[in-house]
Amino acid sequence: MSTIAETAPRGQTRRRMRVDGWRWGGRIFLVFMLLYTALPMIWMLLTSIKSGFAAMQFPPQWWPDEPTLASYQKLLDPQNSVGQDFLRFFWNSLFVSTATTILSVIVAVPAAYAFSRFRFPGRNFLFFAVLLRNMFPAVIFLVPLFILMRMLGLVNTHGSLILTYLTFGLPLAIWLLKGFYDNIPVQLEQAARIDGATRFQAFILIVMPLSTPGIIATAIYSFIGAWNEYIYAYTFLSKNEQLTLPVGIQRFFSENTTDFPGLMAASFMMSVPVVVLFLVLQRYFVRALTEGAVKH
Amino acid sequence: MAHVVLKDLVKTYGGFKAVNNVSLTVNDGEFVALVGPSGCGKTTTLNLVAGLIPITSGDIVIGDRVVNDLDPKDRDIAMVFQNYALYPQKSVYKNLAFPLQMRKLPRDEIDKKVKDAARVLDMTHLLERKPRELSGGQQQRVALGRALVRDPAVFLMDEPLSNLDAKLRVQMRSEIKRFHQDLKATIIYVTHDQLEAVTMADKMAVMNGGFLQQYDSPAQVFAHPMNMFVASFIGSPAMSLIPLQASTANGNTVLTSAEGWTLELSPRNARKVAEATTKKVVLGARHSTIKLHKSAVPGSVPAKAYTVEPTGDVTFVQAFLSGAIVNVSVPPTIAVAPDEQIWLEFDQERMHLFDGETEMALKAD
Repeated sequence: MSTIAETAPRGQTRRRMRVDGWRWGGRIFLVFMLLYTALPMIWMLLTSIKSGFAAMQFPPQWWPDEPTLASYQKLLDPQNSVGQDFLRFFWNSLFVSTATTILSVIVAVPAAYAFSRFRFPGRNFLFFAVLLRNMFPAVIFLVPLFILMRMLGLVNTHGSLILTYLTFGLPLAIWLLKGFYDNIPVQLEQAARIDGATRFQAFILIVMPLSTPGIIATAIYSFIGAWNEYIYAYTFLSKNEQLTLPVGIQRFFSENTTDFPGLMAASFMMSVPVVVLFLVLQRYFVRALTEGAVKH
Repeated sequence: MAHVVLKDLVKTYGGFKAVNNVSLTVNDGEFVALVGPSGCGKTTTLNLVAGLIPITSGDIVIGDRVVNDLDPKDRDIAMVFQNYALYPQKSVYKNLAFPLQMRKLPRDEIDKKVKDAARVLDMTHLLERKPRELSGGQQQRVALGRALVRDPAVFLMDEPLSNLDAKLRVQMRSEIKRFHQDLKATIIYVTHDQLEAVTMADKMAVMNGGFLQQYDSPAQVFAHPMNMFVASFIGSPAMSLIPLQASTANGNTVLTSAEGWTLELSPRNARKVAEATTKKVVLGARHSTIKLHKSAVPGSVPAKAYTVEPTGDVTFVQAFLSGAIVNVSVPPTIAVAPDEQIWLEFDQERMHLFDGETEMALKAD
């Protein structure tokens, strides 16, 4: 009797310890990953509030002796040329990304719905054609697209970028949304149509609200894609006043090579819209990516 | 309320005929069950009536209108789906109000109708909840309410009970039946469960392979199945079907088994067999019309018990007879052991005879 009473709890503790070992391993890994992603950003932030001289020191100042917001003031001041350029690039990026996002949602929503609900000739072919684009690295299309844009007379316009970003963003947007619509039972629309809605009303009143998380996820995705894109913006645009942020920052600071705090401040401000977007809408984003994992 | 007429209804998918020349009339206020195994075309038929899929040929009449090309919303129908299809983002109140809003009724009238429907279905306290906060039975009731609130000409129900657990199903079954009696509603009800059809419907349409097999009252379908499919599909346990050979000698008609025994038929049954196109005749008998004997009596045939299933009130014995399995019910007081030799006596008045080739029921007149 007593031996059983003694061994039983010991067996339990041993099992718990093994689980704990795995759990701690996981935690350490996560902490490592967190440092790996967060440290560069923290360094970016720290550098952006140093003076130009302090940023170049070795050994580095881990914490700036004299923190200053001078770089930010410079970048956001519309009076001086640096600020003018930065604000213009920012505006350009915002315009291109927003236009891309809106257009891609406008096109992807009905396209995904059609792929999900209708059986039409060439459906499978079209669907895989949509995906085919994503099997190649983007750079492959650089020259052909440039030639195409020149023929269309779109070189040196923001239109060329919006079109290009759409060709990259749409396939994934359509895929993502189609998965979403596949998970909405077709009986909901049928019920709505019997309840007196037209096919279009059933879509707008019943299906659209249910797919909001998916639409938001799609929108975030295409916004970020357009916001961060570099190589096409670099190729298609040559006029200084048209540049988007990634290209603008790079060009702008290669002229003022050593202004690291300025570069870091600009980089930080460039990441702000994306982070804000993510924080505000992450609830939907997570829901969108996990939707369909379990059947409701 | 209105009657519904299907005339030579056909639906094909590519080369596949899902619904094959189905014609039937549902009278005003009638409860008709479309019943059959899965894939028999019953749900397709219902969707054709609803207008959710276009018909290939034929006519659908609701009330006095041919509705072939009308949108679902213009057919004046309501439908209850197997998965209820409640709008998940809307509260119960808004679910019920939706069909009325779509018809642009004034707000106070909508409010009144929704509250009336909620009272009828005893769910006033649930109006502010979302569908996911309801139990299966409550969701079912909301779905029913959404159909009811509009006062449509015809109710269509697509297996509305099959997602419920067994106990709730029996309860909702009587609620729907009550609902039909109170409203005198025209209802077309799809189910694969013949018991639901038999217990609830005024008439049942038995379908198989896209064809309408038989359309009649449950009592008629049960007592006079038109063919072997209907005979084996309706009733639980299923009717036993025993393939035999018919022969006539000295004015007497007998059925001969491959096992060697013979069964002499009554004059009326002999006349039925005379109508057959072939010597192959299938004998059909329901479990309650077969008598089980422990020893040979005149007119009985030898069989071997296979399984014995006591259910309390009655014990079901499955026996091997001439290569077929025969279901017999006996009082629980009779003990039968598996593999025991038994003798079965068929009731000549209540046995069914089918043509072995056409599988159609043989009739005396």
